Amino acid sequence: MLLTFGCSKRKHSSDATIRIRWAHDPETLDPLSLHNQAALDAYNLLNISLLQADASTQTLAPALAEALPSVQFLNDSITAIGYRIRSVAAWDSGQPVLASDVDFTLKLMLCPGLPNEVAQSQYHFIRALQVAANDPRRFSFLCRGRSIEYAHTTGDFFILPEAELDPHGSLRHFDLADFQYRRAEIATDSGIQTVVRHYLAAITSQATRQLPGCGAYQLVKWEKDRYITFHRKSHWWADQVRPTPFVLQARPQQLTYAIIPDAATATLALQRGEIDLYPRVPAHEFSRLRASSTAAKTLRFYTSDSHDVATAGFNTRHPILADAQTRRALSQCFDAAGLLRATQLGQGQPTVGLISPNDHLNYNDSIAPLPFVPKSAAALLRQAGWRPSRMGEVMGWTRTPVRGPRQELRLALRYRAGDELFATVALQFQAAAASIDVPVQLLPTESGAFSQALQTGDFDVYLRTLGGNPFMFNFIPILHTAGIGAGNASGYSTPASDQLIEAIAAADSKIRRAQLLRRFQAMMQDQSPMAPLFFLPNRVAASRNLTGIHVNSLKPGYSVMTLAWDSAPQVP
Amino acid sequence: MGRPSYPLAVLIFSRSWPQRIALGWLSVVLLTAALAPVLPLPYLPNVPDLSQVSQPPFSIGKHWLGTDSQGLDILSQLVFGARTAVALTLPATVMAALLGAIAGGAAGFWLNQSRLAAPYWLLLVACVWWALSLPWPWLVLVGAAAASGCLLAIAKWRQRPLPAWRLPLDSIVMAIATTLDTIPRLILVVAIAAGTSVAIQGMLLLLALTSWPQPARLVRAQMLRVRVLPFVEAARATGFSPGRVWLWHALPHAVQPLRAAFPLSMAGLLGLESTLSFLGIGLPPNVASWGRLLAGIRHDQSAWWIAFFPCLCLITSILSLYILSRHQSSQP
Repeated sequence: MLLTFGCSKRKHSSDATIRIRWAHDPETLDPLSLHNQAALDAYNLLNISLLQADASTQTLAPALAEALPSVQFLNDSITAIGYRIRSVAAWDSGQPVLASDVDFTLKLMLCPGLPNEVAQSQYHFIRALQVAANDPRRFSFLCRGRSIEYAHTTGDFFILPEAELDPHGSLRHFDLADFQYRRAEIATDSGIQTVVRHYLAAITSQATRQLPGCGAYQLVKWEKDRYITFHRKSHWWADQVRPTPFVLQARPQQLTYAIIPDAATATLALQRGEIDLYPRVPAHEFSRLRASSTAAKTLRFYTSDSHDVATAGFNTRHPILADAQTRRALSQCFDAAGLLRATQLGQGQPTVGLISPNDHLNYNDSIAPLPFVPKSAAALLRQAGWRPSRMGEVMGWTRTPVRGPRQELRLALRYRAGDELFATVALQFQAAAASIDVPVQLLPTESGAFSQALQTGDFDVYLRTLGGNPFMFNFIPILHTAGIGAGNASGYSTPASDQLIEAIAAADSKIRRAQLLRRFQAMMQDQSPMAPLFFLPNRVAASRNLTGIHVNSLKPGYSVMTLAWDSAPQVP
Repeated sequence: MGRPSYPLAVLIFSRSWPQRIALGWLSVVLLTAALAPVLPLPYLPNVPDLSQVSQPPFSIGKHWLGTDSQGLDILSQLVFGARTAVALTLPATVMAALLGAIAGGAAGFWLNQSRLAAPYWLLLVACVWWALSLPWPWLVLVGAAAASGCLLAIAKWRQRPLPAWRLPLDSIVMAIATTLDTIPRLILVVAIAAGTSVAIQGMLLLLALTSWPQPARLVRAQMLRVRVLPFVEAARATGFSPGRVWLWHALPHAVQPLRAAFPLSMAGLLGLESTLSFLGIGLPPNVASWGRLLAGIRHDQSAWWIAFFPCLCLITSILSLYILSRHQSSQP
């Protein structure tokens, strides 16, 4: 009898907890610097922004804001984006969320001494915030120039509570312009330093009491590299909003993210009922599970396209990779079509750039993806000034620039350890590069160390997934001069590309933006600071009893807030 | 005291059938390892065949033993995995045995009774200083060498012996061995190898440095018996220096137990190397290894051949080493 019970498969737990697999730990819950998707997903539970992605319609919908913003062109150089925060919106302390909190958050995103480089490069276009005199919840962002993206971008950051982080209102003594143009001068202000200290102390603490938010959940427990649990607030302000919009739903009572780096272990956990939802299932695991009659009895399988693109990036700061011809040559050593077939079983889409081929308006279909032709890569290397010669005991490529020492073409390739997709890409690239005598050292790196290496530029080539969305095309954080030292891991920037990226961000019509985006894709293929390989498909496996998954192409690929059990949970 | 050397035929035919099979298998592994680069393999071990992923053995194409989930050829992985196994475990075992023989032999011969003159103490302290990367290591080393030279010169000039203090060699060696033994070897190696990216040479050194305590204990125990035997006493009485007596008379007899322990140590290191490769620790990802090949089953659990062939090689090799070890220990 005992044996029978002991060996029986465990069903989902008797409480309303929903357990989801994460491949790695969020590392930090700093809203100014959310390094990975897990961190972003976690913070989305704790706090919300003015606008949120609606998985049911694949659009941005008002969340903290009462409605979509109003756009007003004040003159040729200023656009006013107007919002009103919902009247019922409140912080955990019970205080209302006000325009002054938005103003405080903007200043914090530009405040010296904080890890806010990405935010700085993304929101540099906001000149000021104007609060309505008669309504503390109504305000307008005054933005430089005109851009169709302002309406989306201005609503896409988490608002932080001023009363909790700056109770003395130290940042109120400064204008937003001071944070943009007088950073060095104001950095020594004691009030600003106190806010910085307070903020850093709050985010570095991994205790259950994190930064207070206005989201539906609070962090209950975080065991690093094991699991992280969130509990729904019993009285969340959005419960009063009727009818509850999709983006303000919060159905699960408790969410536990189990951190299981190994895909096979995660599959086993799903089959044993130890997790309820497994997003981004690797192709082979997904195919095997789908074919299994046992798994079909307890699991459901979902697929969709995604905006995640598998990418190889080059460190353009290193002299050997500083010229476009060398990078283009090396890009031709990636067999994107073969890798797509082998690692994704043919699902997913080949691409010429960072825009999804599904986006017919913006995708540049007049250029072809870079071919896999190592021999032509060797010819390109010759054009780049490289000559076959002996490098120590092996043959390789060297060149001697007019100024500077002799260069040897040998590469260190970094990728996240344990990721089978990139392990295969790395092996394929190494083999192709070896066929033209380019030695490549493979460096699988632990997740945290990998993020660190990308920031410090400790690599020649990296492999990672870049996530996008269909709403915004802001490449400033990843490919602009302003992003160097933050999100621009490749360190690539030229005056022409900076100008084009700025023009895309400031485009005032969809047609104009599409023209610029097409030019941008052609330019990026020519310059090759990164080699986009293919867009990944989104595969989700979940317990049969789980409903409201809303699998979609937006990250994280499903809707966590609408998850629910469709019947009374079964117990062993 | 020397042993007669056996001709090859005697070496083979004087053994039982299990021993012959074990010897045969290990010879095949050794030969495969040595000849791997020149064998006519249809595929290289690190070149993925993206059109033939997770192919079973003897299917279409030239992947005779199939491919793994990355499209790597199983046969060439096995062949080059044998090369890695031999290149890593054989020298590591030899190095560990050498280190163990020297440390254990010295500890057992001199116990805690040897005395070290002041200049040597100075040099010893300087070496420890350097090894611990304390401030100005080279300066301290050079300073100690100069001071030692001066002391020796003064002693020679005054024709007086230098002051000497007792060196507790046996206690030091046994303390280090016990310290290493208290930490499970797998955990120790994982802790060192996981934090740093080590090449094959680094891995070899790491395995050797963590594996010498067992041979050291065996040699020390044997040395305690040998050091009081009449022929060692006779050598001392002849007036040979203690170092010469230790090296030429006592040590060759004290290392005899290592003959039986050698295959066992090698089997242990083979298992350890495979475990590390299975965990993805230590060796670079492009170095073929039976353990790494075995780990491929995690990515495609329906591909039985990914686990079967490396398991077969590992089990057969380790069993063969055990059988050989038993034969060695039964020899007089």
